[in-house]
Amino acid sequence: MIDSQLAGFLGEGLGIHLGTRDEHRRPNGARAVAVKVDEDGRHLTVYVAKVAAGRVIPDLDANGQAAVDFGRPTDDRACQVKGIFVDARPAKAAERAHVLAQWSAFLDNLERIGIPRDNTVNWTTWPAVAIRLKVTAVFEQTPGPQAGTPLV
Amino acid sequence: MNPSLESLATCFQGLLPAQLFTCSSDGIPNAAYLSHVDYVDPEHVALSFQFFNKSRRNIAENPQALVFVTDPDTGQGWSLRLHYVRSETSGPLFERMALRIEAIASYCGLKGIFRLRAADVYRVLEVSRVVEESGAVRPSAGRVPDPIFTVKALQDLSERINRAECLETLVDSILAGLDDIFGFRHSMILVPTEQDGVLVAIATRGCEQHGVGAEVRYGEGIGGLVAEARKPIRISGLMRGMLYAYAMHKAPTEPEAVRRARQIPVPGLPNPESQLGVPLLVRGELVGVLCLESEVPYRFHEEDKASVELLGSYLAIAMQNMQWQERTIDAAAEPAPAPVAPEGAAAPGPICDSADRARHEIVYYAADECILMDGEYLIRGLPAKILWRLLTIREATGREEFTNRELRLDKSLNLPEWKDNLESRLLLLRRRLEQKCPSLGLVPKARGRFVLHVGCPVTLRAQ
Repeated sequence: MIDSQLAGFLGEGLGIHLGTRDEHRRPNGARAVAVKVDEDGRHLTVYVAKVAAGRVIPDLDANGQAAVDFGRPTDDRACQVKGIFVDARPAKAAERAHVLAQWSAFLDNLERIGIPRDNTVNWTTWPAVAIRLKVTAVFEQTPGPQAGTPLV
Repeated sequence: MNPSLESLATCFQGLLPAQLFTCSSDGIPNAAYLSHVDYVDPEHVALSFQFFNKSRRNIAENPQALVFVTDPDTGQGWSLRLHYVRSETSGPLFERMALRIEAIASYCGLKGIFRLRAADVYRVLEVSRVVEESGAVRPSAGRVPDPIFTVKALQDLSERINRAECLETLVDSILAGLDDIFGFRHSMILVPTEQDGVLVAIATRGCEQHGVGAEVRYGEGIGGLVAEARKPIRISGLMRGMLYAYAMHKAPTEPEAVRRARQIPVPGLPNPESQLGVPLLVRGELVGVLCLESEVPYRFHEEDKASVELLGSYLAIAMQNMQWQERTIDAAAEPAPAPVAPEGAAAPGPICDSADRARHEIVYYAADECILMDGEYLIRGLPAKILWRLLTIREATGREEFTNRELRLDKSLNLPEWKDNLESRLLLLRRRLEQKCPSLGLVPKARGRFVLHVGCPVTLRAQ
């Protein structure tokens, strides 16, 4: 569902947020640090700081519904992936370099629009929880009238 | 303890994109970036509604929402749990949000393209910290408003207003005061011209390009928009706003390209990131616009905005009073003395006492009311007519001393009977000559009286 070109975009250092909802359809969310798309393009893993994961894991356990929003700060190109929760586990030490490289690229993008690293120096990235989702749909999310158009 | 909504006002400047989470009636969550969250009152915020997107459809089905905003001073993220209340399509809130969109669009050359459909008002049920976005407290950030500083600063500016003896010292001392006291280095004061819908800069500080004499139409740039709306406008993170506007317009680009592409050449900084403009109004009449700019994305805080708005109300009254006072004095002034020339002397030629002794050609284009000097634009409109009148009188009679009163009475200038803004026109003319042609000058001699100084040979030609 996610081709290599789109996977490349998702992993280039974007602002990422994971959205869920509880049993009363109240939305919840957390900032994610990085993402990794499986080679088959049908699954992706979202890395969320452990301190934030507690806000979304109970929802995922309860109903499995997830939405992940990706936005590039430098031009607001954005897309949204809808998915179904597969599992969650602590991110491994071996994954840390991948996660932090994406995060650093995101901070570079923020700097390019005038937001210095000083502003984000205390944001928590590690330890992280790896949340795996099965992709069900992908939508254009760049601001404007085309937002919401299916990409896949 | 969680903060009041009021104390999060700095988070609503849109410097970092806000995030909106919603959920459809069938339980599918949605996550999307949001252009603008606006503070309404201690219990409500408003979200901009520009497109019928999935978030908006979800809210129609399920009024619950969650928004993340970030404090640009500290980096602390805040989560607002919201419940949709109503949509406003007119009124002060709607106008304020629409004006911000227009201001950014005007910088992109996209004015009128984006429409705010509604300001969606939400009740804030809960405010909590986004724990993964912990804030830093830095010496240069997290400014706490200091009421004593603010009062003393306004007191100082008020004294400057009281001390000013003429329009020139008034506007210059205020811009200097904003720099000295608040550190606002880039500022300007624009006034309406005799041409409808056009403003001209009569005083600038820290603006290397498009300085005094630069014109802007109503609706263009921060000054033109403030004049059009007659309301204060503050923009933070202008480049971010422009990127968002370009994205909406399907013109994706890079920050550097955005910097290059600012399409409306307006007075001020080439690449401002923050802007604050306040209308100078007296009983509904627009006397001028005070604009401040900065290259820092979030420069004008809440307390700055309040202070500058208050200053603007003093300044407007002072500028208007100054003009009335000048008129009153002019009415009582003696006419300018006749030229004193030795008997038998020839008609006076040009005085050549400056380093610039080259002859200059000054051409007046009557149809356009515009003066070019050596082929370069000098000035237009009423200041151009005044300069031409002074130069031709000097050439014909040798007289070099003039009064404001005689200009007011001069039928050829066709000044309005009342509210002629002559002082601001003379100030503009004096400043333009200082910038573009130092060999010519209007030198104040006494109140309402000045000397036309011509320090080089000139050839006058009318077309």
